[in-house]
Amino acid sequence: MSTSVSTTAAKAGDAEYDPITFSVMLSRFNSIANEMTLTLEYTAWTSILALARDYSCAIYDAQPRQICMFDALPIHTTSMHLVLDEIHHAFEGKVNEGDIFMCNAPYRKNTHVGDVVTAEPVFAEGKHLFWSVTKGHQLDVGGYVASSIIPGAKDVWQEGLHIPPLKIYDQGEPREDVIDLYLSNLRYRDLLQGDLLAQLGSIGKGRARLEELVAEYGADEVMTYVDHIIDYADRRMADEVRAIPDGTYESVAWADSDGKDATNIPIKVKVTVDDDKIKVDYSGSAPQSPSGVNGTFATSQGAAAIPFMYYIDPDIPHNHGCFKHIEAYAPEGTICNAKYPAATCCATTCPTDTMHDVVNKAMAAAVPDRVVAGGARAANMPNFAGVDERTGEDWAAMFFNNGGGAGACKGTDGWPILATLAAMGGLKSLVIEQLELLYPLLADEMAVEPDSMGLGEWIGGPGIRLALRPIAGSAEVVTFGDGQQNPPHGVLGGTPGIGGGQYVENEATGERRYVSSTGHYEVGPGEVRVGVSTGGGGYGNPIDRPIERVRRDVRDGLISRETAAAVHGVVVSDDWDPVVDEQATAARRAELATVERPLVEPMEPEASSWLRDDMREGDVYLLNPTVG
Amino acid sequence: MGYRVGIDIGGTFTDFVIIDDEGQVTLWKEDSTPDDPKAAIEKGLTDVAANLGTSVAELLGSTEAFVHGSTIATNTLIQRNGGPVGLLCTDGFRDVLLFRDGYKPERFNVHLERPEDFVDRYLRIGVPERINVDGDVLTELDEDAVRAAAARFREAGVKAVAVSFLWSVVNGDHEDRAAAILREELPDVGVLCSKDVLREIREWERTSATVLSAYVLPKIGDYLRRLEDFLGEQSLQHPAQYMQINGGCSTVEEIMMRPVNTLGSGPAAAPAAAAFHLAESAGSNGNGAGPLGDGNVITVDMGGTSFDVCLIREGRPAMSRSIQVEFQPIGVSGVEVQSIGAGGGSIAWIDAGGALRVGPQSAGAKPGPACYGAGGEEPTVTDANVVLGYLSPEAFLGGRRTLRDDLSEQAVASRVSDKLGLDVLQGAAGIIEVVNANMVGGVRSVSVERGIDPRGFMLVCGGGAGGMHAARLARMLGMGRVMVPPEASTFCAFGMTVTDVRHDYTLSHHALSSSMDISELDGPFAELEATARERLRGDGFSDEQIRLERSVDARYRNQIHELTIPIPSAGEYSQDDLAAIVKTFHDEHDSQFTYKLEDVPVEFLHWRLAAFADSPRVPRPGGEVADDPDAAGEAAKIGERPAYFPEFGEKVATPVYSTPKLLTGAKVTGQAIIESPTTTLVINPGDVLEVLEGGRLLITVAESA
Repeated sequence: MSTSVSTTAAKAGDAEYDPITFSVMLSRFNSIANEMTLTLEYTAWTSILALARDYSCAIYDAQPRQICMFDALPIHTTSMHLVLDEIHHAFEGKVNEGDIFMCNAPYRKNTHVGDVVTAEPVFAEGKHLFWSVTKGHQLDVGGYVASSIIPGAKDVWQEGLHIPPLKIYDQGEPREDVIDLYLSNLRYRDLLQGDLLAQLGSIGKGRARLEELVAEYGADEVMTYVDHIIDYADRRMADEVRAIPDGTYESVAWADSDGKDATNIPIKVKVTVDDDKIKVDYSGSAPQSPSGVNGTFATSQGAAAIPFMYYIDPDIPHNHGCFKHIEAYAPEGTICNAKYPAATCCATTCPTDTMHDVVNKAMAAAVPDRVVAGGARAANMPNFAGVDERTGEDWAAMFFNNGGGAGACKGTDGWPILATLAAMGGLKSLVIEQLELLYPLLADEMAVEPDSMGLGEWIGGPGIRLALRPIAGSAEVVTFGDGQQNPPHGVLGGTPGIGGGQYVENEATGERRYVSSTGHYEVGPGEVRVGVSTGGGGYGNPIDRPIERVRRDVRDGLISRETAAAVHGVVVSDDWDPVVDEQATAARRAELATVERPLVEPMEPEASSWLRDDMREGDVYLLNPTVG
Repeated sequence: MGYRVGIDIGGTFTDFVIIDDEGQVTLWKEDSTPDDPKAAIEKGLTDVAANLGTSVAELLGSTEAFVHGSTIATNTLIQRNGGPVGLLCTDGFRDVLLFRDGYKPERFNVHLERPEDFVDRYLRIGVPERINVDGDVLTELDEDAVRAAAARFREAGVKAVAVSFLWSVVNGDHEDRAAAILREELPDVGVLCSKDVLREIREWERTSATVLSAYVLPKIGDYLRRLEDFLGEQSLQHPAQYMQINGGCSTVEEIMMRPVNTLGSGPAAAPAAAAFHLAESAGSNGNGAGPLGDGNVITVDMGGTSFDVCLIREGRPAMSRSIQVEFQPIGVSGVEVQSIGAGGGSIAWIDAGGALRVGPQSAGAKPGPACYGAGGEEPTVTDANVVLGYLSPEAFLGGRRTLRDDLSEQAVASRVSDKLGLDVLQGAAGIIEVVNANMVGGVRSVSVERGIDPRGFMLVCGGGAGGMHAARLARMLGMGRVMVPPEASTFCAFGMTVTDVRHDYTLSHHALSSSMDISELDGPFAELEATARERLRGDGFSDEQIRLERSVDARYRNQIHELTIPIPSAGEYSQDDLAAIVKTFHDEHDSQFTYKLEDVPVEFLHWRLAAFADSPRVPRPGGEVADDPDAAGEAAKIGERPAYFPEFGEKVATPVYSTPKLLTGAKVTGQAIIESPTTTLVINPGDVLEVLEGGRLLITVAESA
């Protein structure tokens, strides 16, 4: 990581300060957060943290204002300050050097029950100056099913242990009884103890580095530059927002189900841009659901802000100065912001990914060059758990290999394995050998699913077909996603992704049980679980994609010959390395040029035909199945 | 004894270092010839031999070690002019390289393009076969499918094929058989198996290392064969050695089996260069702690376009297993080199927001900095150094090139100063400040970001442009000492002449500390060590020169990532050794990652053996020693010119000294400029330069005000 030193700050602001020190300080905070991030990655015990990196590390000042979050998950980036603020207020006047706080409670402004926050105040020169904070997604939080995300949970008591802000270290002394209470409520206690130590190691690194920084420059100097860094982001963000045309932009999108029996749940948004302020309002969205498919206050704030983080120059620090230009509102009691004691364990992905993407749908009219086509939501990245019948040991894993593709944007095709809009590609997948070494699973296939992505001048990232079978007893699978029935949208003439789905096939009978994007099901011995994830949406008119690129997409098996002709208007030969029929292509493209293309597609619910096309006679479809 | 020859092909220059058996060092720089890299080698060797009063044949005939490094493999990837290659893989898994680790960097930068693959998808052909985690065959290899794939590869005209099957490191039969069929069907095409290129689990890294190897194989193979022919004709008696990214060198034969080892290998010679001087200055006491300290060093090498940083802790360079070249993992363990786009040719510019930036664009060798007068109009770091008075227009490259200071001033004024409302001197000072801050970031990323405080380290400075910045960087970083070796301008070529031969081996043996009988490893290690010794003896090394080091990748049971820890290299292990290894692991985990869990068993994965053949240390001839350090410094003074220092905010009279005139022991107190034919050194106000034995220059840096 290199730094580009900029003197913009000194020029643009009125404050008198040294631009070089400013740049050095800015990159210093980044490097501290980065070191916290690497420490957690290398020392965690569960694949969800150590390989998938489902966590975020950040630095706050004592107020607390976000100073730096580096290489973190988007849904955390734009919401983590809320839960820290809650901790800060719960212990106002009682925050001491050597304390460490914990909280995972969604109704205390945390994202969802699976995310455990650990926060350590940093003192220097006798003053509380910073917070060193990590939020990590736990493999288990003691819910009624072996998974930290349980769509079937009916209320807060079923989804897992709610931990309000509390101290797990008191002035340097661990509160062993409290830590024991926490660990005693979890499955996989040893693994999760390791993950807790890794989180504490990470914030400990952060604290030590911040103390060094203050020792080097002095507290006054450092805190002055913290103000400058926040002001700098504020100024740059204000300029960016002013560049977006003022106005009101509305749209609607649908979540597949409420986690129980209702389908096609509307999520509405109205975005108002006024000078340097943005307001994102989810009024009119569906009422809260009776399951774990509900947003929290924190995720509603986070989802609304994420798209704007990529509309702007990625160089602008994601700190308090940047966020304060965005205000989100979701009425309490809706699926976007549920009311206690509703379960909200799916909140970081569902309905949050839809809340995120509906902003892109709305903003297509305002900033067509900056919006991204719809991305794969969390479908097809289930939690697996079971008992290894060879050893009798419990095992569980959450990994993101089957994640779908990213939407395309102007100038760029989408990447594969976006693994939810909440992460924007920031989660890692497991290589197959690692997966088979760690868990009693065997992979039959992990490959690009042809024709799975939306098409356009730029195409969405491809979806993936992943076939896994348990090899030592059966596996329980909890899927907590969305977007199978309501696929990622295409934009500016681009087409949607396929939506995709998942099923369990019995090898003896050949029968398949298809499952909705949320649900809880079992894969028995002699059965294989197949997930076909959607590709991302396409951007721009498909007939504007260069002919040679389409030819190569066909040659490489990303799209079929039929699709190339039907959608891109490119006709190629049947050869292994196909040849373009120029005449037929010109004619087909001329024909397609007369087709009118919508700004956003689809604009109606349940647009995916994948399930209809893929199911055969005798196969069954299960909406939100449960086990036991 | 005979000559040791190091040749480093860089983007701009091909550097030569020749050491004779009395320790005399000859440095030479030749313009690189990218279209035919061998041409520069031939020309340079001819000139340098003439300079030594001999012929190329005589020089090479009495050369005992010829070590060569080049950017050919790396450039083949960067320019994407190797291949096409084919990949034969397990059916259902042809997208291993496309999926990578599922991770997209810069997630808020939605316009970031996915790195392009080095093997097109239609040339990644899956064949039915499957081996499981235990090495059992679940599906037999479909040989007809392999032959059908070979026909496709033939049709596409692939130049090499990579074979990478799941779990081939546990059971390599299918890879071996498939490779045999491919060689039969495609006799003119190189075939590489993943288990031979990188014997480690994790198919992404292993497949990538194999595909990259296949991709560069035709080019590097052709080049190396022609070079060997030439060297053979010119009477070179010993096998030529080639620089590897692991910091050691190896024979051409070995490189052809694992070309991935040469990727990014040029800068990997820097630690060897630094280590040589540390060891030599430690001298006969042999405990490693000489006047140059305890082996904690950061090397920086600043050339025309890049600034490369390596960290050496207690004599060992920091190594990494997660190095990527062109965004593809190479899998092999390599010297960790942080490279940033900051060199003498780096261009200063004003961005859309009005910020002054420097690099990563470089004016390169052509047109070069504005002061070259070759048509360059952009102000570069070199131009800023000219404007500030550091670089003498007359003394550049020993007077071989005259610099136009008027063009430097014009470029800095029109492209930087005027736009920022500064005078030309302030503009130039700003350029240096910014590029220095960028370089400080590079040093921090290998130290502070790894939890290592650079302040206890010595900065070792190499590269033609490094001397003007090093002391300032040290001051910004709080580092007390800077050492400039006499070969600074050809730093890595020198490193190649003093590096060790190194071969790496891996044993996959999965075990738990709570239940393992460590003596089970005695047999496999003994076998591996016999192979390693045999290979090195075959290359002409004696048993005394051979050194073997073992290590293991360990983690807490059920943890995911491993730490590589050194283990005793004794012949046979006892359970006491196991206890010691476990303790080392706990301590290392605690120190790197803040905690340890002593009651949790430790899990071992890969057991590693590094086999070294030490290069002989040729002592430098002692020079004349000064009686009076200050007088000796004064005696080397050759003039005075105005130069800018931020401490004064303006140009001040600055004495200029000549390196060749400085006797051992001489001292100079800054501000001062030290000039040699190949480098210029800037000594800042308050810093003290001391000439050590062997021509090493040591700067003691005054504390930052």
